[in-house]
Amino acid sequence: MIKVMIAKPGLDGHDRGAKVIARALRDAGMEVIYTGIRQTPEQIAQAAVDEDVDVLGLSILSGAHMKLVPKVLDLLKEKGANIPVFVGGIIPEEDAEKLKEMGVVEVYGPGTSTEKVAEQVKNFVEHSHA
Amino acid sequence: MSNIRMRDEELIEGMKNRDRKVLAKVLSLCENSPERANFLLSKLEKKLSHLIGITGSPGVGKSTLTSSILDELKNKNVGVVVVDPSSPFTHGALLGDRIRMQSHATSRNVFIRSFASRGALGGLAPSIFEACDAFEAFGMDDVIIETVGVGQSEVDIRNVADTVVVVLSPDGGDEVQMMKAGLMEIADVFVINKADNPRAQILKSRLNAVLTMGKKEIPIFLTNALTREGVKEFVNALDERFQKMKENETLAKRRRQKLFHHVKASLRRELDDLIDKSEVKGLVMNKDFLELKSLFVRELCEKYK
Ligand SMILES: Nc1nc2c(ncn2[C@@H]2O[C@H](COP(=O)(O)OP(=O)(O)OP(=O)(O)O)[C@@H](O)[C@H]2O)c(=O)[nH]1
Ligand SMILES: [Mg+2]
Repeated sequence: MIKVMIAKPGLDGHDRGAKVIARALRDAGMEVIYTGIRQTPEQIAQAAVDEDVDVLGLSILSGAHMKLVPKVLDLLKEKGANIPVFVGGIIPEEDAEKLKEMGVVEVYGPGTSTEKVAEQVKNFVEHSHA
Repeated sequence: MSNIRMRDEELIEGMKNRDRKVLAKVLSLCENSPERANFLLSKLEKKLSHLIGITGSPGVGKSTLTSSILDELKNKNVGVVVVDPSSPFTHGALLGDRIRMQSHATSRNVFIRSFASRGALGGLAPSIFEACDAFEAFGMDDVIIETVGVGQSEVDIRNVADTVVVVLSPDGGDEVQMMKAGLMEIADVFVINKADNPRAQILKSRLNAVLTMGKKEIPIFLTNALTREGVKEFVNALDERFQKMKENETLAKRRRQKLFHHVKASLRRELDDLIDKSEVKGLVMNKDFLELKSLFVRELCEKYK
């Protein structure tokens, strides 16, 4: 059973995209924890560790991804957790590359098919367990 | 998570040291390899935690109330298990109770864990007993268990919790109807939440009227989980109740009942497993019902040592 957490760091309150992904992953047979909006990186990282999730998805529309994502990655590392992180939102190509260099496994823009995300999430888990 | 690379000794040591990350792994073990978890947890000393069940219809405010209970328990170590239903078709689940409790995600004295019901029908998760043991082994003072938003027949929480709190709210239309069914019998404490709704008082008098016909005295609390009004009184009453239970044998009685159901659940799980792996399965074609059943029983007795 794959356990995923979908979280929304930062101050924007639009969680339609996050909920769509959460539901799609549930429908693909995963157990999906949704933490709600306006989460601090610390709240997200601690919850991901406590819930012992296989994957963490961050949804960010505020434009603050270059600040928030590294913070979450650092905190996870600090807590000794080796959890693959993917990001969804409106992210410029250039930033997406940088995020991947920092260790993010994939970045999804608006309009990515949810089937594709579900498929790839399964792959991230397989690889991280290998 | 299915890959727990830590060895038993490491897990045991980590639990003794109250290492939060190890507790997270042990809870995963409870979910995914409950029998290994049972073995491991039997090696650990356990605190007698107050196991508090929170149940009631969808949307009455169980999660919000749990969060406001946590606000009142700053001086205690508290474990929280929140259960949401799995889809019987895809086995997927959307676990959303945490949303209402995220203000406690970074509290050092609180540990919240979401479980999917994974086919269990009683409003709980198949590994709920193991999860309680894990929290007790970690030394929690209280363990709060939020069940799936229940209908009428999901009363298993009675076999797990020391205290069952049934939450009602005045905006559910058929609450009194529901009170007549199973939930009425399992309640140790009633909470009428959303007391900011003027109809809460009416619900309270109706509930009182129904309760006076019953045998046991069940306290009723009015709360507003959003503002925490009434929550302190309720939490203090829970504490007093637990102290009393310890003194007058009722706790021992509840725990014996719980142990019985834990063994039953564990046995059933192993039996299912044995049957699924049984070699008798291949013979199904040529046998009649009773013959096949006794073959199964024979094989199971042989394998189950
Ligand atoms: N007015 C008012 N609203 C409340 C109160 N407590 C909870 N709510 C609201 O009721 C809704 C449902 O609350 P939850 O805590 O999610 O209810 P729940 O019983 O956990 O729901 P499920 O887990 O889905 O069964 C939310 O919108 C809460 O904000 C209260 O005391 N007063
Ligand atoms: Mg809830």
